[in-house]
Amino acid sequence: MFRTALLRSARQAIRAAPRCQAPIARPVVRSSMFQAKQIVPAARFQAVRCYSASAGLTKDEVEGRIMDLLKNFDKVTEPEKLNGEAHFHNDLGLDSLDTVEVVMAIEEEFSIEIPDKEADAIHSVKQAVDYILAQPDAH
Amino acid sequence: MARLSGLQRDVLSLYRQCLRAVKEKPASTRENFRDFARSEFRQHMELNKKDFGTIEYLLRRGRKQLDTYRDEGIQNVSR
Repeated sequence: MFRTALLRSARQAIRAAPRCQAPIARPVVRSSMFQAKQIVPAARFQAVRCYSASAGLTKDEVEGRIMDLLKNFDKVTEPEKLNGEAHFHNDLGLDSLDTVEVVMAIEEEFSIEIPDKEADAIHSVKQAVDYILAQPDAH
Repeated sequence: MARLSGLQRDVLSLYRQCLRAVKEKPASTRENFRDFARSEFRQHMELNKKDFGTIEYLLRRGRKQLDTYRDEGIQNVSR
């Protein structure tokens, strides 16, 4: 009688063992999944950077991005005048302070810093596009 | 836009510095700092560009103000 009980409890213990192990094993699995998740955005970020660095920027792409940025700029009074040749002041009705803001927005868009002297010389969409195309760091 | 005078370039340069400084501020209050800088400059938009004395005074004041507001302890601004 006693032996049977002992055997039964031992068997139960064996059966219970994997069940016990499961929660122990789970954190390991979870943490490896977590790590994988952490790596994914970094890898994606890297991929984007590599892609843009190797492909470079086309004139159309730069122009499109600058135009989008101007479309969203609340000070542009006549969005219908917006085109590849548009002058910030004569066509879009922006003053010199607005122009500074636009140029800074362009800096942010292409992740570059434009020195004051060169920034002061940008007065139109075309000048901005040409400037960005001449920058190897712009992406 | 006509060619800018040296003084005008100084003003725009200060404006640029202010906008760059705004980016150092916490994201939640960045908008307030930006509006503050904008209105501080816009306020004197009508000033005659030949009024060198006033412009130079405002430039000095602006630079000092920028220095003050740049302090990390200043988290928000209102007007």
